[in-house]
Amino acid sequence: MSFASPRRSFARLAACAAVIAGTLAAAPTLAARKDDTLRFAYDQAPESVDPYFNNVRIGVILGANVWDTLVFRDPDTNEYKGQLAKSWKQVDDRTIDFELREGIKFHNGEPFDADSVVYTLNFIGDAANKVTAQQNVNWIEKAEKLGPYQVRLRTKKVFPAAIEFLAGPVVIHPAKYYKEVGPKGMNAKPVGTGPYRVTNYTPGKSISLERNPDYFKESPKGVPKIAKVEIRFIPDRQTQMAEALSGGTDFIMHVPKDQAEQAATVPHLQVVSGETMRIVFMQINSQDGTPAPQLKDVRVRKAIIHAIDREGIAKNLVGAGSRVLHTNCFPSQFGCTDEGAPRYKYDPALAKKLLAEAGFPNGFETTIVAYRERHQTEALINNLQAVGIRAKLNFLQYAAMRESIRANKEQLTHQTWGSFSVNDVSASTPNYFAFEGEDITRDPEVRDLLLQGNNSIDPEARKKAYKQALTLIAERAYAVPLWSLPVFYVGAKELTFKAYPDELVRFWEMSWK
Amino acid sequence: MAGYVLKRLGLALLVALAVSMIAFLLLRLSGDPATAIAGEGATQVDIDLIRHTYGFDRPLPVQYLSWVGQLVRGDLGDSIYFKTPTGPLILGKLKTTLLLGVMALAFALLVSIPLGVLAAIYRNSWIDRLCLALAVVGQALPNFFFALLLIMLFSISLRVLPVSGSDSWLHFVMPTVALGYYVAPAFMRLVRAGMIEVLEADYIRTARAKGLSTMQVIFKHALRNAVVPVVALSAVQLGYLLGGSVVIETIFALDGLGYLAYQSITFKDFPVMQVIVLLLSVIYVLLTLASDIANAWLDPRIRVA
Amino acid sequence: MPGSTPASALPEVAVILPEDLPRSRLPGRIRRNTALLAGGGLLLLILLVALLAPWLSPHDPYAQDLVNRTAPPVWMDRGSWLHPLGTDPLGRDYLSRLLYGARISLLIGISVAIISGLIGTAMGMLAGYFGGRTDMLVSFLVTTRLSMPVILVALATVALVGGSLWVVILVLGLLKWDRFAVVMRSATQQVRSLDYVAAAQSAGASTPRILLGEVLPNVMPHLIVVATLEAASAILLEAALSFLGLGVQPPLPSWGLMISEAKAYMFFSFWLIAIPGTALAVLIFAINLCGDGLHDLLSPEGRS
Repeated sequence: MSFASPRRSFARLAACAAVIAGTLAAAPTLAARKDDTLRFAYDQAPESVDPYFNNVRIGVILGANVWDTLVFRDPDTNEYKGQLAKSWKQVDDRTIDFELREGIKFHNGEPFDADSVVYTLNFIGDAANKVTAQQNVNWIEKAEKLGPYQVRLRTKKVFPAAIEFLAGPVVIHPAKYYKEVGPKGMNAKPVGTGPYRVTNYTPGKSISLERNPDYFKESPKGVPKIAKVEIRFIPDRQTQMAEALSGGTDFIMHVPKDQAEQAATVPHLQVVSGETMRIVFMQINSQDGTPAPQLKDVRVRKAIIHAIDREGIAKNLVGAGSRVLHTNCFPSQFGCTDEGAPRYKYDPALAKKLLAEAGFPNGFETTIVAYRERHQTEALINNLQAVGIRAKLNFLQYAAMRESIRANKEQLTHQTWGSFSVNDVSASTPNYFAFEGEDITRDPEVRDLLLQGNNSIDPEARKKAYKQALTLIAERAYAVPLWSLPVFYVGAKELTFKAYPDELVRFWEMSWK
Repeated sequence: MAGYVLKRLGLALLVALAVSMIAFLLLRLSGDPATAIAGEGATQVDIDLIRHTYGFDRPLPVQYLSWVGQLVRGDLGDSIYFKTPTGPLILGKLKTTLLLGVMALAFALLVSIPLGVLAAIYRNSWIDRLCLALAVVGQALPNFFFALLLIMLFSISLRVLPVSGSDSWLHFVMPTVALGYYVAPAFMRLVRAGMIEVLEADYIRTARAKGLSTMQVIFKHALRNAVVPVVALSAVQLGYLLGGSVVIETIFALDGLGYLAYQSITFKDFPVMQVIVLLLSVIYVLLTLASDIANAWLDPRIRVA
Repeated sequence: MPGSTPASALPEVAVILPEDLPRSRLPGRIRRNTALLAGGGLLLLILLVALLAPWLSPHDPYAQDLVNRTAPPVWMDRGSWLHPLGTDPLGRDYLSRLLYGARISLLIGISVAIISGLIGTAMGMLAGYFGGRTDMLVSFLVTTRLSMPVILVALATVALVGGSLWVVILVLGLLKWDRFAVVMRSATQQVRSLDYVAAAQSAGASTPRILLGEVLPNVMPHLIVVATLEAASAILLEAALSFLGLGVQPPLPSWGLMISEAKAYMFFSFWLIAIPGTALAVLIFAINLCGDGLHDLLSPEGRS
């Protein structure tokens, strides 16, 4: 009697796997270069290509490549330059006037002028139009046309981060076209002014981009070098890596650190990594009615911070480019600082002592919820376990986790936050400490300081208020700031590309060697 | 016959309704769609606005009946996530999944029928054991593991097949094998058992006595009768393949119904999910009805009253 | 006819009642049934390993060692006997996790088989014994259940209550009773017409007593065959659920979860997925072999 032996076939395949690096040929990538086409694989397809009606990173990436914004923030210097606008002026603390550039055309030939800016801003500012990421647009009160290339914008309240948002998510749509076809039509056939235009879109499958031959030369983005971009949606990360290994794709992102390090050994691939603005932190539910009343004791919270080996986990697990944080914001954000904030070093013995003082000599049971970076969560759980805090993992989808947090059902959370790549503290800290839905601390003193920072126009006053708030949060150990996340990109060797902290893929800058 | 078909269609309707009600309940209980739609960083005000706009704050029975009412009028609703009509969205993806399902079934039959026949003819010998083992081995691995192994071998090492996508027939080779191999053993056992039973029946011995060769016996008589339960099982398995292709579609980036269903659950896109479940249950019941009719036609002995 | 093929009207599955088996030749048949022996032997081995896991494991399967992540097994260079099968991405000893994982996988298989077996057998026996309306109702329930894709229902349910070992077991147990129902129904129908059942009925025995005392012992062998197949299928489904992120939660070392976590390292550290994958394959293989052997034992053609 003979049975097929699974063991033998595995050994054979293991041998195959071991020689993968050596047997790979570079032929397929050369073929792509010949067509001057960049093949990019991404996991999640956007629900709509219109940047105002999706909530995924690829939507942000398309937004920057197919559309333009009034203002441009230089990613290296953080300086603001004009893009669709030539210049702007802050008239009063709620009004900005823009002088627009002339001679620009949308991809469908429609000319760019004040009408498009006014229509777009008023459309997105109107809550009835249900723009998906409301916080990107709900600060807009009204835009009015002052002349064929002059626009006045009023904000609902004092909003110092307006220019930052106008340099990021707020892209300009063509008035005539958008009025006619609306978001549905824009999704079916996207039209912008950007360096690339969409030539084909199969929802859920692929998007084809082609260089915009009429792209205006004054744009700080510059004229794109690669002629075509082919974006395919491949949900499984391993399939993406398989494509990269077999030469079926030229560029993939969000590669986990371990696989990126391995991919670096493959001859026809290169790995580029960089820190991102995404911060990782652990929230501690100390608000009234928390399911874990022991977390209201500051000694317990301090014990939790002392129990975690942030340096060790960041170095071994998170990877090159990440840094340990001491306050709940990303260091490059305006207003973010950790000056004066207490430093809690890794000290499990001290943690146990604090727990004993607080009445928990044998620790306690708790739960921790997370939605990504599971290895990190497990490492955190392990650290907590070592001081007696037995945390059960509740791993959920993002939406489910948020719901649970808002319903005050969670005790500890393992959160990440990218601030929509907005380089201002108003886009990060207040989200978790200013009495919004996911604030599970609810300290009115902190809230007031943060709101003060949000609502002043004077930069020094803002910095002062934010610093006080951040220091308070650290002193009262409301949350555990952990580290920043690096992102790893794996691309074909012949590709030149750079990683930026805003995780934005700038196709217009990429080129073949 | 007509009465039978009508009765079965009535049953199909009942089943579809029952399934849709269960799915509806499960989905609505599984979480608040408003938070999912609102996305990262939305405020409570946004979420409440969304909840009211989409009518999620109405009592459950009202929501269900309103959905059934819409359905009867031909309105399948709009996808909450994709913001396009559900009907065309699903129809577009159905093509890929149907193609995959049918090909997987064909592959399974192609592999299992010869194996089953062989096993039956040489029953209880080492050939029998080998055929069984061959069929069973593919079923012993989780399907995503098997699929990734195929990718490793054929795309990365040998470079003969593309990894993912659905542009050419080459793209469907590995998904078909990965999906079809899983259902092959059931067919093989069925064919083997059916063949054995038939090979030992009287009328076969008569045919043999009449001097017909073994091959003729097999193909003209035995197979035809052994195929009856295979047809019935095919219907069931096709139903399973259509509903269970999530993993394969995810790995091979096939953008079919299975992956859409997975996305709908993840993003709480209820309108889409409900229509998918309804569609799959209707297809399943119709398939079983079709297979019963086919069986009745193939073998008059089992025409059921 | 073996293999349930439920149409809307449930089919008649030909089952052989134990009393029809040539009892005297049973031990001999068992001895010559290589499938049953091999499969059973393997299963027993795995069961033993699972039970003795705490004594056989060189390390604590939950002990992390972040400096020693994804260490290769001893037969590769850089491998050492400290971790004979290497370590996982969090530095936990793979051999220990493999041994403890046997417990989880077996627990899932057995629990799901029991739960779905209880539900399906009850439904099948009632349908087979009473016929008429009961039969129609059960038939309707089975068809409804079969037209709902298991994966999607499991997904929705886990999205509802979160993933955990017991949720997975419950969900799978509550979904996989259909084959039990079909097979038990046929078997019961055949048993119902037997002499001693009629005798029990006329003697005034209560229905539960008849069902449990007369019918059940006779349909038991078929119950076991179906149970083995459903157990194997449940173990594989757990792996699929883990792949979709909705199965057992870490740090529990179920083989399905280990495979799904190792998938990310597949192209570069193949052993991480090959080891639990092989273990799972062997387990499934053993279960199927057992099931086939048992089935041969109970079917007419097994006698030659």
